[in-house]
Amino acid sequence: MTSPAELPGTDEAAVDPAEPQPRRHGAPASLREGGLAAAIVGIATLIALGLRPYLAPTNLAMVYLLGVVVVATRYSRRASVMASLLSVAFFDFFCVPPYFTLGVSDSEYLITFAGMLVVALVISAQTARIRAQAANAVERESRTQALYRLSRRLSAQTRVFDAALAAAEVAEEVFGSTVIIFLPEEGRISFRKRTSNQLPISTAEEEIAQTVFDHGRKAGRGMERFPHAAATYVPLKGASRIVGVMAILPGSKGEELQADQQHLLDLFANQTALAIERTLSQNAADDARLQMETEEMRSSLLSAVSHDLRTPLASITGAATTLRSQGEKLAPGVRDELLESISEEALRLSRLVGNLLDMTRLESGMELRRDLYPLEEIVGVALQRLEPQLAGREVAVSLPEDLPLVNVDELLLGQVLVNLIENAAKYSPSGSAIEIAAEATSGVVQLEVRDRGRGFAALEEDRLFEKFYRGKSEGVRGAGLGLAICRAIVVAHRGTIEALQRAGGGAVFRIRLPLGARP
Amino acid sequence: MKPPMKPLVLVIEDDPQILRFLRATLAAEDYQFHEAATAEEGVAQAAARQPGLVLLDLGLPDRDGLSVIREIRRWSQMPIVVLSARGQEKDKIAALDLGADDYVAKPFAVGELLARIRAALRRAGPQNQDGTDRVIRFGDVQADFEKRQITVGGQEVHLTPNEYRLLQVLIKYAGRVVTQRQLLTEVWGPQHTEQSQYLRVYVAQLRRKLERDPARPRHLQTEPGVGYRLSIDATQSGDVSQSRDVSQSGDT
Repeated sequence: MTSPAELPGTDEAAVDPAEPQPRRHGAPASLREGGLAAAIVGIATLIALGLRPYLAPTNLAMVYLLGVVVVATRYSRRASVMASLLSVAFFDFFCVPPYFTLGVSDSEYLITFAGMLVVALVISAQTARIRAQAANAVERESRTQALYRLSRRLSAQTRVFDAALAAAEVAEEVFGSTVIIFLPEEGRISFRKRTSNQLPISTAEEEIAQTVFDHGRKAGRGMERFPHAAATYVPLKGASRIVGVMAILPGSKGEELQADQQHLLDLFANQTALAIERTLSQNAADDARLQMETEEMRSSLLSAVSHDLRTPLASITGAATTLRSQGEKLAPGVRDELLESISEEALRLSRLVGNLLDMTRLESGMELRRDLYPLEEIVGVALQRLEPQLAGREVAVSLPEDLPLVNVDELLLGQVLVNLIENAAKYSPSGSAIEIAAEATSGVVQLEVRDRGRGFAALEEDRLFEKFYRGKSEGVRGAGLGLAICRAIVVAHRGTIEALQRAGGGAVFRIRLPLGARP
Repeated sequence: MKPPMKPLVLVIEDDPQILRFLRATLAAEDYQFHEAATAEEGVAQAAARQPGLVLLDLGLPDRDGLSVIREIRRWSQMPIVVLSARGQEKDKIAALDLGADDYVAKPFAVGELLARIRAALRRAGPQNQDGTDRVIRFGDVQADFEKRQITVGGQEVHLTPNEYRLLQVLIKYAGRVVTQRQLLTEVWGPQHTEQSQYLRVYVAQLRRKLERDPARPRHLQTEPGVGYRLSIDATQSGDVSQSRDVSQSGDT
């Protein structure tokens, strides 16, 4: 079968001998379609020949038009135009006397030919257009779907690499070929920072990817620049900069992307780039915020610590130098007072340093050394440590004898108690009693430290446990660390701590610890 | 009963300020005093001078203080009291396991240090070598090991065999810290050294029977993270007369 569509076809292989498959497969497809179109015209001819004894030749033309319609609805416009021309020729040859010549005995038939050709061409054109529109609609639909899927996947990612990974995955589904996204590392495209574990492209191509990244223009396979590359490289252009490079390998059959797919690819690259850019700036913003908070914390820590370190140091220095220069002249009572303030202030410094160390250790994720302890023992140790501060103070301890053992880090829970009892002593009049009570209810041990101080301001309850927060009471000094440490320790034990106003005045600090399974 | 000459204390410590006040304190208490600023020198001095007691800082410039204990224990049972920082329970236990007699956590008050030194010297004294005085008194408690009778304020209390043994061991090391492992080994046997919660339960029971306020024990004191100490040198509670009784009871 000869057809006009047979024209090109072989030059492709000559251009690229390394490539077994021709790059554009338009030629073989239209060759096949041309053949089929001709075959359909042939069938129409056979039918027309069969009908020729019974029908006028002008009516036989309808058989050919039917054939053209069949070709037009199935094959390309080229094929149906070819079928139109062929139909007129065959009609003339087989159906218009004299038969088997292209000559015409009656010039009237020229009008038939012209009409037939026009109708056939119009049918071809219209059918082709309708088909193209339908195909377009389907294409648009699937493109929209793909982009929607992409944007949904991208919006869920908070990390740059995850976004790139998601984009590459969706792109692979949509384009049916391997897609790898390369991200830059300090301005260089790195084949190490890529979305695919298997790297079907040699690292030698890194330079091409780098060029694409630097210049922001597509290159590689099927492009003007580097057409012999193993992949097509598309820059991921965000609003303000290029954030990476997307590499598309030829599909499993080695076919190239069609023009409309190229367009879709651009949209894909654009959306991916915007998502990555957004994630990058989000991360940068987060970093900046964290940095700011850290700075803020550090500066409040510094001011709190420097104040709380300096105050006792000032008292110690003052008292010591007074004793040294005027020791002889001072009354014995005054000397005792100065000596007492030196040792008290030194103890205060020691506790502050201890709290700071505990806080640091807790914040750096120290592991708890838990075991089963009688609460009584932990309370006892805390009271022993606080003996100097509690001198003469009534401390009422009420712990039921059948209290179960608690599974805790003894030193840390002891620190909680020391801080709470010390606070109670600090914030309540020296004559008032401090109560320590515990009870066990279903699976929980509740421990309370109660005082008869002034309590705290309403709405202050939650702020009390914040780092560097100081209560509103005047005349009491502290770094605002004690309760923050308490909370950190209790939380590390999966417990809760809260501050409550005490009926009749004062504060209650309540700890609840889960009893949990015995080790 | 005051001995004419107090023993020689060898202080192995490199910090000049600490040394300064230790010197003052020990001199005021009539102890003889010698200093070494490094581990190397400390070991050499311990061998040369044969002190009555070694006061050892664990943070020395040349070597780990623990190695000093190890070396001295190769040839001598002289009492060693360690100076350590709070929060370093591992170091304390390691020091005690290596044979140190006791520790004082920095920062410490002088009274505490002197009590530890006294307890360590008493343990090393010739009259108490077997560590089993027949009658011991502390606070309201009187323990008569001959009759196996414990009384609190004159009232006899019944102790279970384990509680009794526990008290016996604590009294044997009176004034000194005893690690959990050591107590478990001596009371329950070497195969039970990991079951420290048993120990805690028994200590709690013993406190209920012997202490006036078990949540604020005067005598059966906890050394958190390390072990227990039976305090009979009750300087804080003011029953000095009883503590004298204890130190003399070995002679009677």
